[in-house]
Amino acid sequence: MARPLVIRSVGIGVALVAVGIAEAWLIAGLLARLLGFGDAGWPALVLAGGLALIAAGLGIAQERAQVAAGEAAKARLRAQAFSRLLDKGVQDLRPVGARTALVVDRVDAMEGYFARWVPAAMLAIIGPLMVAGAAGAMDGVTGWILVVAGLMVPVAQAGAGIGAAAASRRQFGALQALSGRFLDRMRGLPTLVLFNREKAEQSALGVRAEELRVRTMKVLRVAFLSSGAMELIAAATLACIAIRHGAVLGEAHPDPTAALFALLLVPAFFQPLRLFAQAYHERLSATGAAADLAPLLGAVGTGGGLVLETVPPRVTVTFDNVSLTYDSARGAALDGLSFRVGAGETLVLMGASGAGKTSVLRLLMGFARPDGGRIAFNGRDAMALRPDELRRMTAYVGQRAHLFRGTLAENIRLSRPEADEAAVQDAAAAARVMDFAADLPLGLDTVVGEGGFGLSGGQAQRVAVARAFLRDAPLVLLDEPTAHLDPGTEAEVMESLKRLCLGRTAIIATHARGFRAWGAAVLDLAGGRALGKQMAGD
Amino acid sequence: MVAVLGRVLGLWGARGGWLFAGVTVSVVSVLLGLALMALAGRGVADGIHAGTLFVGGGGLAFVMLRGVVVARPVARYLERLVTHEATFRALADTRVWFFGRLAERLPAGIGMRRMGDLLGRLVSDVEALDGFYLRALVPGAAAIAAVLGIAVVLGFASTALAAVVVVPLALALLLPPLLAPRAARVATAVASRQGALRAAVVDPLTGMEDTLAANAEARAGARVAAEGAALAEAERRVAREAAIGGAAGAVLIRLALLGALGWGLAMGAEGMAPAVLAVFLAVASAEALGLMPRAGASIAAAAAAGARLFEAADTAPPVSDPATPAAAPIGHALGVEAVRFAWTPDRAPVFESLDLDVPEGARVALLGPSGSGKSTLAALLLKLAAPAGGRITLGGVDIADLPAALVRTRIACLTQDARLFDDTIAANLRIADPGADDAALWQALDRARVGEVVRALPDGLATQCGEAGVRFSGGQARRLVLARVLLSPASVLILDEPAAGLDAANERAFLETLESATAGRSVILITHRLVGVERPTRILRLVGGRAIPAAG
Repeated sequence: MARPLVIRSVGIGVALVAVGIAEAWLIAGLLARLLGFGDAGWPALVLAGGLALIAAGLGIAQERAQVAAGEAAKARLRAQAFSRLLDKGVQDLRPVGARTALVVDRVDAMEGYFARWVPAAMLAIIGPLMVAGAAGAMDGVTGWILVVAGLMVPVAQAGAGIGAAAASRRQFGALQALSGRFLDRMRGLPTLVLFNREKAEQSALGVRAEELRVRTMKVLRVAFLSSGAMELIAAATLACIAIRHGAVLGEAHPDPTAALFALLLVPAFFQPLRLFAQAYHERLSATGAAADLAPLLGAVGTGGGLVLETVPPRVTVTFDNVSLTYDSARGAALDGLSFRVGAGETLVLMGASGAGKTSVLRLLMGFARPDGGRIAFNGRDAMALRPDELRRMTAYVGQRAHLFRGTLAENIRLSRPEADEAAVQDAAAAARVMDFAADLPLGLDTVVGEGGFGLSGGQAQRVAVARAFLRDAPLVLLDEPTAHLDPGTEAEVMESLKRLCLGRTAIIATHARGFRAWGAAVLDLAGGRALGKQMAGD
Repeated sequence: MVAVLGRVLGLWGARGGWLFAGVTVSVVSVLLGLALMALAGRGVADGIHAGTLFVGGGGLAFVMLRGVVVARPVARYLERLVTHEATFRALADTRVWFFGRLAERLPAGIGMRRMGDLLGRLVSDVEALDGFYLRALVPGAAAIAAVLGIAVVLGFASTALAAVVVVPLALALLLPPLLAPRAARVATAVASRQGALRAAVVDPLTGMEDTLAANAEARAGARVAAEGAALAEAERRVAREAAIGGAAGAVLIRLALLGALGWGLAMGAEGMAPAVLAVFLAVASAEALGLMPRAGASIAAAAAAGARLFEAADTAPPVSDPATPAAAPIGHALGVEAVRFAWTPDRAPVFESLDLDVPEGARVALLGPSGSGKSTLAALLLKLAAPAGGRITLGGVDIADLPAALVRTRIACLTQDARLFDDTIAANLRIADPGADDAALWQALDRARVGEVVRALPDGLATQCGEAGVRFSGGQARRLVLARVLLSPASVLILDEPAAGLDAANERAFLETLESATAGRSVILITHRLVGVERPTRILRLVGGRAIPAAG
């Protein structure tokens, strides 16, 4: 965190305590005057008014400093957490909602820690010491009463705090589960409605919310106990000082102004401690949040590796005895697979679902690393490259293209952001996006929603093909690109794909028979092994 | 703003007891706080000035003080506990209500509404509502009680003194409603920025493959950073509004204190006792009123959150249920007569005049290219959309006269976007039939040709599917949702591309057994091509918004 921001916040806090002490002194003098002692008068009253205005100004300044400190810290945390999530990529199986909660809600929960906890912790020591010193200068016993009270506060809080930290973590777990479940169920709302299960899911959501309440109240019961303990200490301190000056020193009080001053200092004494207690809860929730964030805040870029100087114009892909196992309980996904695709050639991978077709593509995309064997590009070890460098060589079309919220043109440009208007138009035409975009009132500037609302599956797939054209990469990877299309659309998309593969190295995972007619090499897979290679024209 | 907040209170109606109890405990706690300071102050003043105005009073004040010293922290603790308990109960109600409303109003999907935005709505907006109760209603009631209490106590001594002290305090009370509209504007900005940030995070995570494939990580990160900065900017404005409100409130409370002192100075000896009391009451009021200026921001934030919640919840339902439903039909023959339909008036109609009959036990194959309206027909049959003309009958009764829930117990549908939930396989299947036993689940899995896959899993039926079935391959996930539909006890099955994701051998095997798997039920098989083993009783092709008999 930016240290100057903390020092500024603490400095303003110290000034506020000093102004509070001065105000208490002036008001005590005026009160004493009412009781018939001393000679404070209108000038003191005016001065007190001036101090009130200064305090108000300082309050505004302090809030600013706190917000600035929290802001800087949150921006840093968010950037780190998000880039780590992208780094983990498709291997992270947690629901999107839960991962989003990490980047948004969990990072927000850290704000209080940086904005208020750190300055408040420093002020909780400096502030009360200043007040106790001021009180002690007038009457030693009063000073000691305050010091003792101040020492009792952290003792009471520590007792309550130990249980609260663990409970706080549980509460965050519940929040995360609730948020993940909601997003998951919202996505499948049509499915739930079709089976008349929306009411049942609604009550399940109610049960989850109830669990959240029970968990949160468990945290709060303890948290409130610690602030309750402070209330008790504050009230008792006030009573002790009142009795000390009212009943013990009493009638022949040596310094009535000091007596009233002591009494008026009690709220000022507890104010920094109160803020500390509030901030302490923020620290607790931050601890819970930090525990979840911690795995995301470690060193970024564990998947190190070489960087490409330039993307080679042509690439030969070789798999040599490659094996891959995701989960030993489910067996090997690839089991000693070997093949070679020459530059500019196309290889069609066919086989039943689970045969390993997609695993080949995942390895080439850097989403997974082989457990054994060698994958080479132009004869060199491809796995020595950093995963994102691996992807610079490829254009990819998956089963269902994800259309990001934005215009069609923006969605196409995703694959090569620096591309100019004409290039985007060409790619759209090559992928036959223009066939339907031309009928839209805004053409390529039509906004499509997250998930591609408003476009049919075939249209979304064509946008993905346009991306691949625009990317102009030497290696084309297609994962069941026509699995969800009807024959008419399938034929059209396939025709565009054929042109895409022309002159590029291409690997196509599919079980659509249409690809067999391309005249390309076909490799039949079963159980992660090749059943034999059928060469073009065989 | 008032209407929105009134409606929020209405939603919480069932929790009125808890909510009222919270306010009551809070008022008691604030009054005890006033008593504590007043008694302590009076005790000291008495002690110092013994024998003049408060003879014997000092002793009495100290005796009472002891009780208050204990009662006050207990009241504070109870106040916090009861108000939070009340808020959580009320908020749980709101969550459940909101989900139910969305289920009614957005059944066919969320369309252009960003998923991240919706998530933000339920989770953060519902939570923002608690600020309305905890930070506005409760401290507001307590502050009003404190000001009234001070007015009454001081009113006995001197009307002028009461006015000098109470007027600034009353102004401090008025600050929240005065500041709320300004705060509302900035709060709205924060909420929409928050939604935008969430969407900026959700979008690339949802389309993870496409993001990574395009090397777009850095761009996605930059967008998140930009949305984060925009949110911070909006939050800074909220903080500034709140800080100004807080400072104004603090100055007004000080003004009341200094006013009491000034009144005492002006009145001289005879004003001494009431002025001293007024000073201590004014000091004590700082705690009761201190939170008030910030209540404006809470009111505004809650109103903005509430407005967004209601906007989503008030979307008109696509098809409303009949006021007086017809008696449930006995048969399950489907009839479509001269149906006209367009998704929106400005788009080309999907059906001009569609006629279709599906007698009981029939297997109708419906062919047609994508965009020819096959999925639209399913939506119409399931009452996810209503025809603009013509009628659809189930067992001879117009489905417009039947509740949607009844229609959906008779007709089950495997849609193209059918989803697996982040739950076990068994729980995912039982969505179709909650009472089904394990044997029925295995039968459905076998019929969908995925039984062997599930048997091979170490956890079997208890295997977690992951979000959208991410732990399974696309083909396996598709077969699991097919098993779910086959498990359904509905008498009509609509299968939209049931064999998508199956490899050729499995596709053929499944379609061959379709007849036995769906024995006795009507089946509408929506597909783009027939393999030749389906043995449908009728084959229809959707062309130009009409169903035309086609040759096998």
